[in-house]
Amino acid sequence: MTTRTSPNSIATDQTFWDDVREGDLIEGYDLTLDWTKMVEQVSGSQDFYPVHHDPDFAAEAGHPAIFYNTGWTQAALCRVVTDWAGPAGWMSRFRFEMRRMNIPDDEVHARGKVLGKSDLDDAHGLVELEVWLENDRLGVTTPGWATVRLPRRT
Amino acid sequence: MVRTTEPYDIEAVRREWIGRQTDVVPGRYPVEYDSIRRHCHMVEDTNPLFLDPEYGRSSEHGAVIAPPVMTRYFAGAGVWPPSSDNQVSLLLSVPTRGERNINLNTEWEYLLPAKVGDHLASQTEVTDIYEKSIKLDPRSVWIVTETRITNQDGELVAVGTNTLCTHRTPEQVEAEEGERPL
Repeated sequence: MTTRTSPNSIATDQTFWDDVREGDLIEGYDLTLDWTKMVEQVSGSQDFYPVHHDPDFAAEAGHPAIFYNTGWTQAALCRVVTDWAGPAGWMSRFRFEMRRMNIPDDEVHARGKVLGKSDLDDAHGLVELEVWLENDRLGVTTPGWATVRLPRRT
Repeated sequence: MVRTTEPYDIEAVRREWIGRQTDVVPGRYPVEYDSIRRHCHMVEDTNPLFLDPEYGRSSEHGAVIAPPVMTRYFAGAGVWPPSSDNQVSLLLSVPTRGERNINLNTEWEYLLPAKVGDHLASQTEVTDIYEKSIKLDPRSVWIVTETRITNQDGELVAVGTNTLCTHRTPEQVEAEEGERPL
């Protein structure tokens, strides 16, 4: 089964553990990193370290451009999981690696894939997800992994 | 981080700093709607669990909850007005070769939701410090911290590990190593 999530999903559709299959793809959503989005990442994350908004400061530190910060990155990855899991799902574990940078003018694609599933109790099961951000310049920039607790149908 | 221009002794820094921890420090404000709204705005998240009070009240949580990755945010003091957020203060005090930094690996276990109105607190410990060569700096210093977040009832809400890479500017590397990076 392939689970699709539209860019403006309101995440109210419940995903049930019984229906998930290893290899399912999570289509996720796309973001265009224009300058308005850059301002939103600073506002939303409250991370004012200049390397994320001041091109001269970034260049002085040896970076080719400003790059999007950790708060924005984890928010983008988390949304892939929470959109997909639905209102009764719970992301119990989450990790990610900031391997490459997302910079202004990038088209970023947030995606995911089911790696596996296991029993938890009579009412819930666990699902292991791989989630990632990729852009058109570099491919995958930020791999992540999540464990999600989902309700069973029965 | 405190950039030191004296000969840098990584083993001495490790002995002095690994194991240091902050007090349990309460967040400045309770979990609140508007910060969640700004967070969701930056990634165009319209999830009503995070944004709609009526939907939240009817959910299993009984209230709007913060996206799990915001837990650390609400356990902190924020950037304004200036304060002595002890996690930041702890990291700013670790001696390093450079004062530039890049946040790299982050891992969290989320045990409970943070609901609007909850008041979170955090305690952070330095768990590792080591050197590693990166393109920008052949002797960058990496700092690993563990943060435990609790709520107003003393319940453990989340545990996180963070790895921060600190490095010098290319000019500093050239001056101190005799060769410009990159």
